[in-house]
Amino acid sequence: MSHAKPIATLRTATGIPTGRLAVWWLLASEMVIFGGLILSYLMHRLGHPEWADAAAVTNTVIGATNTFVLLTSSFTAVLAHQAAEQGDGKKAAKFLVLTMGGALTFLCIKAYEWWSEISHGYTIASHTFWSFYYMMSGLHALHVIAGGIIMGIVALDAFRGRELQRVELIGIYWHFVDVIWIFLFPLLYIAK
Amino acid sequence: MSEHHEVNYKKIYVTLLFLLVVSIVGPEFGVVWVTLVTAFGVALIKAYLVIENFMHLRWEKRLMKWMLAATVGILMLFFFGVAPDVMRHDGHNWVNDAAIAAVERGIGGAEVEGEAGPVVAEEAEPGVFSASTAFNQACAACHGQVGDGNGPAGAALDPAPANFTDPAFWAERDRERIHLVIRDGAVAAGGSPLMVPWRNTYNEEQIESLTDYVMGFQP
Repeated sequence: MSHAKPIATLRTATGIPTGRLAVWWLLASEMVIFGGLILSYLMHRLGHPEWADAAAVTNTVIGATNTFVLLTSSFTAVLAHQAAEQGDGKKAAKFLVLTMGGALTFLCIKAYEWWSEISHGYTIASHTFWSFYYMMSGLHALHVIAGGIIMGIVALDAFRGRELQRVELIGIYWHFVDVIWIFLFPLLYIAK
Repeated sequence: MSEHHEVNYKKIYVTLLFLLVVSIVGPEFGVVWVTLVTAFGVALIKAYLVIENFMHLRWEKRLMKWMLAATVGILMLFFFGVAPDVMRHDGHNWVNDAAIAAVERGIGGAEVEGEAGPVVAEEAEPGVFSASTAFNQACAACHGQVGDGNGPAGAALDPAPANFTDPAFWAERDRERIHLVIRDGAVAAGGSPLMVPWRNTYNEEQIESLTDYVMGFQP
């Protein structure tokens, strides 16, 4: 096997490495998806003051804890990137595993939260607020799951010192997932 | 990969945590503008810090910033194109009756409930069962707090939720049937599956007490 880098990571017309360009393109499309949902929610919420009652039911402590978990996992993701930049694949892999731990913690808390809400009768069909709630946080949770899986693959490679540029790429995606949650937190938990 | 950026990541992280605390504490004051600034203003700052310092957009080529700005532009076009129709409930030549009714019902319900706020919060006292609290928690979303079948979640349901204040409703129903429907769902009495069984949520005694509560709506 040749040790030369694949041409896709070198050739660039924009001055941006191709992989990173692709991730930014992905995120641009994600912005429209999440942005469309968030803005639709926002206009309904502003038009319906009575939704405040439904929003008051969501558990701010759980929302805040998950925000803390995601912010922390973003921090470990950027430390993984820093380690990869220094060429330390093992250290990068270690930080990626920590980030995956954050993803798992987030999902466990989310599962408990949904379980308790659904068992109290607040389902996706009980109110338009809850439809938005489950749709937005569900789509976000799917992104957390996908990110966690990809991170595992990248971490395995990084541990063997391969494809270290991918550590940055999964990191950029992960920070995006964090940013989406930063907006979902006040929208779904704080504003009453 | 080749560029090295001197960012004190720890400092950014600590700042983010501090801002998280601000966004939680701010709304506790209950002042609208403080909530808006601490919840949404702070969210914007947090997002900016992450995007600039963790995603390194700061050092990214200008092309990328324009690309992302374009998606924000498209989103704004969507928002300002649609929002007037969704946020307003009437215009020069149109009225959205359903939306106006939903707001009125919701606000009315909130006044009945008073300043106490979240319905679920009351549940925090273990062992104390109150039929009215349980009704407001489990039933009022569809059946309405006054039992008139006009709960906000019921507006879209077909068939519409039962109206307990309607004499016609009581013409063919007795206490036994109300109890059966609460316990086993309306399907058990040949009704709609939208009225789900509550036997797993409430025990027999609690269902008895809920039955009494619903009977109380009888005109």
